[in-house]
Amino acid sequence: MIRPPVLPGPVGRDGFLSLLGVVVLLLPGCDKQPSPSRSAGPVPAAQATAGWSQARALRRAFDGAPPVIPHMKMGANCTACHTQVGIQFGEMGFAPPMPHTTAPNPGVFARCEQCHVYADEKTLFVDSGFQPLCQDLRKGRRATEISPPTMPHAVFMRENCAACHTGPAAREEIRCPHPERIRCGQCHVPVIDNSDFSRANNAS
Amino acid sequence: MHQLDRRDFLTVLGTTAAGAYGITAFSCDQKQEAAHIAASQPDSLSPSDLNWGKAPCRYCGTGCGVEVGVHDGKVMAVRGDVASPVNRGLLCVKGYHLPGMLYGHDRLQYPMRRGSDGKLTRISWDAALDLIAAKFKEALETTGPDSVGVYGSGQWTIFDGYAALKWVKGGMKSNNLEPNARLCMASAVMGFVTQFQSDEPMGCYDDFEFGDDFILWGHNAAEMHPVLFSRMLERKRQSPGARIIDLATRRTSTSDYADMYVEFKPGSDLALANGILHLLCRKNKIDTAFIKENVVFKRGEEDIDKIGYGCFGDQAEHYTFADTPRDATYDDLLAFLDDYTPEAVSKISGVPVAQIETLADIYGDQTRGTVSLWCMGVNQHYRGTWMNNLITDLHLITGKISKPGSNPFSITGQPAACGTVREVGTLNNRLPADMVVTNPEHRAKAEKIWGLPDGTINPKPGYHAVDMFRALTRGDLKALWIQTTNPWVTLPNLNRFKRTPGDGRFIVVSDIYPTPTTDVADLILPAAAWVEREGCFGNSERRTQQWDKLIDPPGEAKEDAWQIIQVAKRMGMGHLFPWPEDDWHKPMFEEYRSFGLGIGKDLASYDQLRSTRGMKWPVVDGKETDYRYAAGHDPYVKKAKGVHFYKAHEYGDKAAIWLRPYHPPPEIPDKDYPFWLCTGRVLEQWHSGSMTRRVKQLHQAVPSAYVELNRADAMELGVKARDWVKLVSRRGELTLRVAIDGRGKPPRGSVFVPFFDEAKLINLLTLDTMCNISKQPDYKKCAVRIERT
Repeated sequence: MIRPPVLPGPVGRDGFLSLLGVVVLLLPGCDKQPSPSRSAGPVPAAQATAGWSQARALRRAFDGAPPVIPHMKMGANCTACHTQVGIQFGEMGFAPPMPHTTAPNPGVFARCEQCHVYADEKTLFVDSGFQPLCQDLRKGRRATEISPPTMPHAVFMRENCAACHTGPAAREEIRCPHPERIRCGQCHVPVIDNSDFSRANNAS
Repeated sequence: MHQLDRRDFLTVLGTTAAGAYGITAFSCDQKQEAAHIAASQPDSLSPSDLNWGKAPCRYCGTGCGVEVGVHDGKVMAVRGDVASPVNRGLLCVKGYHLPGMLYGHDRLQYPMRRGSDGKLTRISWDAALDLIAAKFKEALETTGPDSVGVYGSGQWTIFDGYAALKWVKGGMKSNNLEPNARLCMASAVMGFVTQFQSDEPMGCYDDFEFGDDFILWGHNAAEMHPVLFSRMLERKRQSPGARIIDLATRRTSTSDYADMYVEFKPGSDLALANGILHLLCRKNKIDTAFIKENVVFKRGEEDIDKIGYGCFGDQAEHYTFADTPRDATYDDLLAFLDDYTPEAVSKISGVPVAQIETLADIYGDQTRGTVSLWCMGVNQHYRGTWMNNLITDLHLITGKISKPGSNPFSITGQPAACGTVREVGTLNNRLPADMVVTNPEHRAKAEKIWGLPDGTINPKPGYHAVDMFRALTRGDLKALWIQTTNPWVTLPNLNRFKRTPGDGRFIVVSDIYPTPTTDVADLILPAAAWVEREGCFGNSERRTQQWDKLIDPPGEAKEDAWQIIQVAKRMGMGHLFPWPEDDWHKPMFEEYRSFGLGIGKDLASYDQLRSTRGMKWPVVDGKETDYRYAAGHDPYVKKAKGVHFYKAHEYGDKAAIWLRPYHPPPEIPDKDYPFWLCTGRVLEQWHSGSMTRRVKQLHQAVPSAYVELNRADAMELGVKARDWVKLVSRRGELTLRVAIDGRGKPPRGSVFVPFFDEAKLINLLTLDTMCNISKQPDYKKCAVRIERT
């Protein structure tokens, strides 16, 4: 039996978000009823995004931090299930693929537990006032309504875009409508800096 | 309640405008939602909205570069610094969760004084600093410089360590300055000093890309130095012939990835290393030309009765053994190694003869690069310096040293164990840049740089760390200032150091959170942590790394160096710190840097450190050094090729191979206490846990200490996983939950307990035995029994 993930109190957003959280917080796979944000059916985007943010916030310290492991301990061979494309285990759920560039042999990413740890306990040692970076998943900006959105997060160690943006684990609001176009970086670019271009020598 | 930030506002405006333009139909619903999201998530920022600054990681000695994302005066995120040559963007779970370390609700924010009723009361900084100055002055005047002390840290920045050194040695004329790093890498210091007359490794992390065989001597790198271990795994992936050899007393996460696992009995690594040396000599796999040109032979006191263990009889109060080095020859070495035949070594160590021969073949194979790595397993050893000597002997006798991919490489456990403790010299007998207080020329040089009268610096070494706390308990030490460390969790045999109320001692503790150490303090000072102040660390590969202050500390917290300078000023020692109050870091660094210029300990300039991801000393003409003592790499080596051990003047510019015998451990399991106890760290919790336990993800991953048992032992005892058992040693007892077949698997007859948990103090049980030369305690082996509860 897979335990649901740890559910501490709301992360301090508006009230309606915490209500939603309860539904969405169930980890992928342990809920028989698909949560709204993962269902194919229409879900108001605001709800989906808000709930997703909370689920994300519970599984990681801040956007960019490695998520904790929300399921029971299953040994060290993580890549048996978390393959390049992921695996569906009947009603148990979907083991999403890794966003890291994978290699045929063990390498830098061979030791998953170096960065991903189990959330074993519900209690805290002491409370924390840490305010995480927690971004709106729809932050990818479009120049025009038909322009490809920019990437709202760093690409480093998230080179396998399909891991999160396609397949059953992809939340609706970030699901790619055209997974067949495999070179994502051709159209979607990261935002490294918010500033506008200015000429170094503006004398002329 | 929430304001739309400007960019959100522009985005919403933009999409609305686009909709109005009629490029696509934009439904009313969607517009409302977009506005709703923006309004409900006002602090929803993108990484590009944050201000990113650079810093080294706060935890271990690897020295990973991180980028710190700041918004509105708070650290909201970190990411691995892709520009850092150390980690190239990768971190471990502790590094990824750095920000949470700053924001525990119980951060110390104000100076607090303990009254006679034991209660803490907030006082002003002025009152606190006056009180420290008065107490230290009183102790100096009534009981002399031996009765005051400062116990600092390998987590001190260079500024903190240098301020403490100057105040203690140049101001108070005492040498009672010790770091927690005495418990951590003192054996490595004495290893390098006895062999090269200069501290710190010759290699650098590039060894992980050039080496073929990585031999880990009691070093669980997968958990303790994960990013370095990743570099080894990546080397294996890219170069399939590369191998990891794990020499250990229990199976760990490192063993899971090792090509060969060699299990030896606790303490028998001394015999094992001699057994490898024996085979190298017997099979003539030594580099005769290298030895002739670059090596001398030495031996010291070997009589176990004269040396002792530092914890029995008179030595249990004062351990002051000093080695008596004498010259030896290669023939002496051969005769000495007669005792260490593979069969004899196998009997002592439990290692099969075939494995000893394989290890000798690896060290003796001149076609492959060999990197020996070690950390606490070798350093926290009753003969830690000897073990350091023996491992380096293996490299000297084969000439596999100061070459890319072939080096003896000691790794440190704290971020500035090298940068501050070893290089600044915050030890009871040291001064900056390899100098010691017992050498009149060294004292004179320090006095000249500091502008102090001749004879200011006390030539008598102070207490080493364990003796310092023994002296405190006896009452010989009256006033002690502890900064950035937690000795009431980390000292061995903790029962010895219990405080009694009204004992007449004065203990100040500077820290960022309450700990068992602040619990016994008379005065608690709130410290600024990590990027709340400007600082420099130095990592295991001689890389000095600088960072700027990125946020304000909470409340009235102040950096350690500032605290020391203010007290020094109140004691009439302000002349030691003549720099302006608002700009003292750079001039202080440049003064400190002048100690090492021109003698092979050249640090980079402060400006250069500021603009780079750290520089490996010696830095000459703005260029860092990858391989010390190596021609073509080290600017101090004038030869066209080969090596030159130019710091070892007393050995004729040669390195020393030391003859070091096997001695049995001080306490061996017997009928009453039949199990070995080993202690150490885990990946998620760092040291005494005062920082990492305040991070939700790290705490929840490993919330409390446990005891690892071998499954067969557990069955024999009739206990299973998660049962409670009581561990009892001759010194103390502790009740812990059982873990079986977890990440660590001790062999039969031994157990392992992590030391981070202040509610489960395993150091109540450990033995305060020490390395005879470095005086570093051995936390890795003592005897316990297990009782069912």
